[in-house]
Amino acid sequence: MGAGVIDQLDILETPVPSAWSSPEDHATVERRVRLYLNALGVQDPHEIEVLLRRVIERVEFRARLGQLGEPLEVSIEETLRLLDRWLVDELGLDSDPDQISAARAAVLGGHVPGWTGRWSGLNKEPLAESIRAVRFRAVPERAPLTMEPSIIRLCCHHMLRRLLARIGRLLGLWGQRHSTLEVRP
Amino acid sequence: MSTSGFLTRHLARPLYFTLVLLTTVFCLSLLSVAIQDGGLSALELVLLILYAILMLWISASFWTATIGFLLLAFQRLPGERVAPTAEPVSGDDFKTALVMPVYNEDPERVFAGLRAMCDSLVATGKADGFEFFVLSDTREPDIWLQEEQHWRRWSEELGDRVPLFYRNRVENTARKSGNLADFCRNWGGRYRYMIVLDADSIMSGETLVEMVRRMEADQRLALLQVPPVPVNRSSFFARMLQFAGSLYGRLFVAGLAFWQQDTANFWGHNAIIRVRPFADHCGLPRLPGREPFGGDILSHDFVEAALLARAGWKVQLAPDLGGSYEEIPPTLIDYAKRDRRWCQGNLQHARLILAHGFKLLSRLHFAMGVMSYAASPLWLLFLIATGVEAYFKSLQQPVYFFGYNIMPIWPESYVVEMTTVLWVTLALLFLPKLLALVLLALDRTEAARFGGLLKASLSVLLESLMSVLLAPVLMLFQSKFVAAILLRTSVGWPTQQRSDHQTGVLEALGAHGVHTLIALAVGYVTYVKVPDFFWWFTPVLAGLVLSVPVSILTSRTSLGLSLKRAGLFLTPAETEEPQVLHRLEERLAEPSPAIAAPVEAKAFWIRAIMNPRVYALHDVLLHDEPQTRRRRHILEGLVLQLQDEGEDSLSLREKRALLSHREGLHLLHTRLWAAPTLETQSHHANG
Repeated sequence: MGAGVIDQLDILETPVPSAWSSPEDHATVERRVRLYLNALGVQDPHEIEVLLRRVIERVEFRARLGQLGEPLEVSIEETLRLLDRWLVDELGLDSDPDQISAARAAVLGGHVPGWTGRWSGLNKEPLAESIRAVRFRAVPERAPLTMEPSIIRLCCHHMLRRLLARIGRLLGLWGQRHSTLEVRP
Repeated sequence: MSTSGFLTRHLARPLYFTLVLLTTVFCLSLLSVAIQDGGLSALELVLLILYAILMLWISASFWTATIGFLLLAFQRLPGERVAPTAEPVSGDDFKTALVMPVYNEDPERVFAGLRAMCDSLVATGKADGFEFFVLSDTREPDIWLQEEQHWRRWSEELGDRVPLFYRNRVENTARKSGNLADFCRNWGGRYRYMIVLDADSIMSGETLVEMVRRMEADQRLALLQVPPVPVNRSSFFARMLQFAGSLYGRLFVAGLAFWQQDTANFWGHNAIIRVRPFADHCGLPRLPGREPFGGDILSHDFVEAALLARAGWKVQLAPDLGGSYEEIPPTLIDYAKRDRRWCQGNLQHARLILAHGFKLLSRLHFAMGVMSYAASPLWLLFLIATGVEAYFKSLQQPVYFFGYNIMPIWPESYVVEMTTVLWVTLALLFLPKLLALVLLALDRTEAARFGGLLKASLSVLLESLMSVLLAPVLMLFQSKFVAAILLRTSVGWPTQQRSDHQTGVLEALGAHGVHTLIALAVGYVTYVKVPDFFWWFTPVLAGLVLSVPVSILTSRTSLGLSLKRAGLFLTPAETEEPQVLHRLEERLAEPSPAIAAPVEAKAFWIRAIMNPRVYALHDVLLHDEPQTRRRRHILEGLVLQLQDEGEDSLSLREKRALLSHREGLHLLHTRLWAAPTLETQSHHANG
């Protein structure tokens, strides 16, 4: 085993600094989730507080299970998961990744007014129809045609080789016909 | 068919080729008389062969323009006319796709152009049945993400009125021809026609509708090429080319349509194509052998036109259709860069000239494509051979008394013959310009669109002088490209810039320094060794000696705009700006969609992907794939590498890999937001 690999293995033996144990850790994660929620489009302080609480609960749950890893990363993951979970419930989806992705793009793209209130549970009006109405049809239905490469028969391509082959055939050295005339796919 | 139609149809080509051959033979006889004193040396034979090839090229061009002039003068075909639409062109029966293949192009220009065309199409009231399709082969992550944002913005605005589709190809196999083939293979069955556009193409709605009408009117017509007129540039260089393209171009186009008839050529864009025969016959094979002559067919358009013609379909040029525009390189150096890209593709056609099954005229198109670049090294060789011949002639001492003759025998002078050769050659080169002016004199309205006859004449004079200066520079550039391609070496030039920009001193010195040195060295040698030849040679030397200042000066937009204000190099597109070009300007002036993201000294694509809106849109445009552990590990490794070693540590392919899979995208978005340093940065900025 090389020295480079041993150096990397040393990193594994270095004690991991404890995370999620101090109030500073909690504060850092909360700040980051607020920032991220803002970027998602959640501006209302009440909505932020509700959603923040739910995210932190999920992060704490992961910590209790020992699956915390990097708290900041887990908090962002859980925020997105919370959003996806809500979209699945709101639209009655069956976890189809394409449908969830489209629904996520619809709300984050700002096409569904009031979605953050509905996500946080402060707004009771269903939004399924509005979300479904937003379409991301980048391409139409496939309508395939066959398009095979054409054959172009070059002139004088491998002329010397063909000439030798012909002489060979005349002399009976080769029985098979060698043809390299056509440019095929 | 009327008698005149019959005659035109059957006599056009014999007439044209006879004129070309007779002119070549005539010029060749003049030169052979001038140089053959006392037999024909090997060098003189080389001179004659080179001159014959070059004269064929020049006289072909001359007669195309002359025939075009006669047609326009007698038929009075205006350069910009759209025939009235008599029949419905589309609807429920069939659809026409406006396809724009793009590769790392400026997305703002691409989508503004499409929007302008769409506006123009809607204004005709016949937009039903047209669909826009952006076929992106873009590899640059920044541009890819911007294209998606523009697509989303415009498609939302358009709604279902005119569908706007967008796809980014996973692998850009076989470049542009592969891009179009991919479109046909996936969606070709949806459309009867496709109108192929370039990233800088603009076509008016009326023209688009008329193109479809003409295709419907002739069921054997597979491709209709509408010649594009260069527009929209402001530099001196580009305005000069725009003027030349607008004024002389219509002569050439009319002439080409006369003799090419149903075996015209495809220029790669601004053409309508019947999709099914295109799919049936225009799949391009890879040529055997290695580059430059083997591999993917680079200049696909000529080959596709030849394949359609081979299959019995008509390929036509529409000289009477206006409303078709393109943008050209703004500077001499950019023009040369574009030549570099086209050169290899055209030289590759040399292998196809004698390939089996192609029509004679298709072979001629291939040969002319080769000659458009091979002509430069041939001219160079011709000049060198002429110089060497002149040197040897200068060494010969005249002998006045032979044998027992009392009277001296004076050496024959061939100055008259040589001067005639020169004047005939110059006439063939410059007469089309005069014919274009004559055409303006015959039509005052048309003359006014070029700024009036006087200003147009001044512009022609100035353009002719400048073309004398620029021709030797382009000759050396193209000769270098041809040599580099034949020697399989790279000339190492970066991508061409399409938008207006100006050439700096260092850039000009880098590109033209060698030209100047060559001119000084050759000038010195000829002045010392063959002083008579030196003076003949000065126009060529002047162009090369002045190449640095000329290149800088002609790139200036201020100069181009001053000339515009002075009424010089005016084109109809400037004096009577078409609505579609006006819409393009308006669309370009609209603000681009802003992308808010936390800032840091990071690449645009990283900042953009942090924006949840951009992330979500990009994610929805990707296909879902089954997850594999191996792929996840690779993608995780790339994200770690990006975070630890910075964005420069990733190759273009690795960046694309991160953006091409939902897993990678999710990892990237999450990890970027989880960066410990994020909160120390200022929070939001527009990307």
